[in-house]
Amino acid sequence: MGAFYHDPGIRAVNDVLSVILLLSVPGLPLLLAFPALRSRLSWPCHIALLPAVVLLAVPEVVSIEVPWLLLGTGLGIDAASRWLLAMSVVLWAAAATLLHAPTGQPADDCLTTCFLLTLVGSLGAILATDQVGFFAFSTLMGYGFYGLLVAGGDEAPRRAGRVYLGILILADLALFEALLIAAETIEDLGFEAVRHAVARSPSPGLYLSMVLVGYALKAGVWPLHFWLPLAFRSARPAVALLLGGVPIAIGLLGMVRWAPVGEINFPDIGLIIQGLGLAAMLYAVLAGLERAQLKLLPAYAAILATGLFAIALGTGLADPAAWNRYGDLAHVFIVSLGFGLAGLATAIRWLEARYHCPAMLARQADGSNPWFERWPGAVVRWAARMGFDTLPRLRASWLAEVGRLRQVRAWKRMLDGSERFLQRWTFAITLFLLLGMVVVAFVGASSWIG
Amino acid sequence: MNWDGWLPLLIVLSSLSVGLVIFFLPEERVATRTTLNLTGAVLKLVLVGVIIWGVVHRHHYETRLPLLPGLDLVLRADAESVLFVTLSSGLWLVTTVYAIGYLEGSPHRSRFFGFFSLCVAATVGVALAGNLITFLLFYELLTLATYPLIVHRGTDAAHQAGRAYLTYTIAGGALLLVGTVWLYGIAGSLEFSYRGFVAELADGHRAALIAIFALLIAGLAVKAALVPFHSWLPQAMVAPAPVSALLHAVAVVKAGAFGIVRVVYDVYGIEFAAGLGVTLPLATVAAVTIIYGSMRALFQDDLKRRLAFSTVSQVSYIVLGIALTGPIATIGGLVHLVHQGVMKITLFFCAGNLAETLGIHKVSEMNGVGRRMPWTMAAFTIGAFGMIGAPPLAGFISKWYLGLGALDAGQGWVIFILAGSSLLNAGYFLPILYAAWFKAPPDTWPAERSFGRRETAWALLAPPVVTALLTLALGLLASAPFSPLQWARSITTLEYAP
Repeated sequence: MGAFYHDPGIRAVNDVLSVILLLSVPGLPLLLAFPALRSRLSWPCHIALLPAVVLLAVPEVVSIEVPWLLLGTGLGIDAASRWLLAMSVVLWAAAATLLHAPTGQPADDCLTTCFLLTLVGSLGAILATDQVGFFAFSTLMGYGFYGLLVAGGDEAPRRAGRVYLGILILADLALFEALLIAAETIEDLGFEAVRHAVARSPSPGLYLSMVLVGYALKAGVWPLHFWLPLAFRSARPAVALLLGGVPIAIGLLGMVRWAPVGEINFPDIGLIIQGLGLAAMLYAVLAGLERAQLKLLPAYAAILATGLFAIALGTGLADPAAWNRYGDLAHVFIVSLGFGLAGLATAIRWLEARYHCPAMLARQADGSNPWFERWPGAVVRWAARMGFDTLPRLRASWLAEVGRLRQVRAWKRMLDGSERFLQRWTFAITLFLLLGMVVVAFVGASSWIG
Repeated sequence: MNWDGWLPLLIVLSSLSVGLVIFFLPEERVATRTTLNLTGAVLKLVLVGVIIWGVVHRHHYETRLPLLPGLDLVLRADAESVLFVTLSSGLWLVTTVYAIGYLEGSPHRSRFFGFFSLCVAATVGVALAGNLITFLLFYELLTLATYPLIVHRGTDAAHQAGRAYLTYTIAGGALLLVGTVWLYGIAGSLEFSYRGFVAELADGHRAALIAIFALLIAGLAVKAALVPFHSWLPQAMVAPAPVSALLHAVAVVKAGAFGIVRVVYDVYGIEFAAGLGVTLPLATVAAVTIIYGSMRALFQDDLKRRLAFSTVSQVSYIVLGIALTGPIATIGGLVHLVHQGVMKITLFFCAGNLAETLGIHKVSEMNGVGRRMPWTMAAFTIGAFGMIGAPPLAGFISKWYLGLGALDAGQGWVIFILAGSSLLNAGYFLPILYAAWFKAPPDTWPAERSFGRRETAWALLAPPVVTALLTLALGLLASAPFSPLQWARSITTLEYAP
């Protein structure tokens, strides 16, 4: 038997099969995302999961390097990612089934395409073995998930989508900067290599901050959780099922894989993150009790759980040895969270359908005020009651300023005016500027040489 | 002269001769004109393929014809010229197919395709120019060949745009001429060479070299649409969509950007230019242009005008990469020369499809258009995400190398420019995608034409789909051999070799 496995021919066949299998996990859903290629298939979203199911059945650790792909990337599956993949397959299969609900009609093309693109990103991110691959797949997942949120929805999902999209863009910018810092530090962008190299670089703080902020935004970790309640409130059943296992899980996975936790000793930052985690849990409990609708319960559960995760992460930064002992549990936590939130979302949908109770609690959340107004507003109201008149005035002027800045017309008029000016005096301005450049160049050069 | 000596000239003639013949074809000879157009485009691409093979195998292709005493007309294939000539030839073939579909049944097609071919001949001449005087000749020919295309529709707006274009580009050309003559007076040579040829003149002519640099760059900045010389470009969007594609992706702005590459690398040499202190002002102008162009794009409701301002911004990435003075940023700048072309041509093709099929010209008219024209809008989506710099598309590769190059060159401020630009790009592209895919379509479109079961004509649909797939491939397969990224790496090795 051993000779069989060491036979070069068999090994070559195994290698080829590994390449085909690993590439087809994100590849097949990507192909099926084209409506023309799935038009004759009855269950394209389920079929798209087949390579992942086959990969789960392969008992070995499999990995490939794809030097020609992107900037040179890799895909692979190990024990930890196997659990994540298994969770994903179950949740995606369930969501694919629910995609037809509640009408029983096939989902429209746009929704199915978004579903499959999100699937590509989600599975690809789990299998990615380097940062560039993970970033590419998670970005695709994010934009696809935005489509899932807003497709076919009314104003509420659109608002959730807008907020999520804004968060996504900011997160990707932060992570792109982190990626650049990593690439400047080390050529090999494999997760292990980057964590090791960044931890030993002269200033790992900026990289760590970018990673934590980027993935906290993506996972909806408090206090960067703005999109989470909106998404849970307005998402269709299939999408609500995926919220825990896709954007939140991939966000937390990104933190684990990118941040040099266990390699670096940052007690101060660790303490801050622990504090934030604790505050998140407190917020989830208080806010959940104060204003929860039944539909929002999973959102506050997610904030509670990600707060707990932040405490663990902070502990890892303060005590690397502890993270090295227990860090593997992070994957177990992410898998449990994915299943837990999906279960909670499903149970609540079932309860709503069974007892026709769209809101268990009487108080509805007030979503009309912008987020930046609510907390300062509470402080200002308290200050006014205590007799501090300055604060309300300051708040009023600040809000007026914000309102003014939101009026882009002034900017537009200014830019239009400059453009008209340029167009009207084209020749004169061109000559004037060119002459100016020559004169400046001459004077500058002469003084430099002189 | 052997075969290697004729090949660069043949590449120029493949479209020049086609253009001259087409001028004399009667309007109704559609099949002949189409055959000539496609034959010229395919022949050029085959010849470029031969040259790529030759350059990889270290063949020397050079056509040298006497022009003036002491000055030759030189066409030469080197690594940089191959990058640009491949881009323009490849995209010309796609644009020709598109133009055939776009102009079906419209008047003055022989005139249009005649100048169209001349325009590409001039662009290829710009790409293959082996010295500054040859570059200048083809650069001016490009100005003259493009003008009739901009005013092709014959409307008041078209004539106004044409006048603005001529005013800017002739002024720019005059500056380029003054700079070239001055440089010749000092150096006695205008031959492009790796790491430049003016460094040895530094001792006695430092001030003059800085002034000449300013003149040459100002002359080229007009076509490259650097602020404040950019105003002609958004006005020129009144031209037909294939001309917009030509202006923004294949020929005109690229000729300006490529000229800046030539001046910085092959006239001055990047290290000497940095030593003169001229690269930082150039980088500053590029950075201002990147942000200004994106801010202007944000406020445009006219789709093509929004895309035009986007070009103003995106072309400056090339200039920024060049001016950052470092091998990695150079790779970013050079590779964006190709990537921007492919992405932007996709967007203009799609804008043309929307206008020709549904009469849509404004962003505010695009609600639900993704359901009516899914292939066109899928291509537009890929192009737009590429422009934003989302992975794994071509634009991501450009931004990656520009960002990394900025850090490598110790110019951290550029990261903020790139981040700001990405935000603004998202700000003006994502609302379009949202409206197209997720908003409900109107009951009727502004001016719908029926193409049976197809969303539009094949000749209009195939080009954007092909270039969108290319946008994807250029990102996904960036590390594959012979990709533009690998080619840019080779050029950089030559430019920075000790």
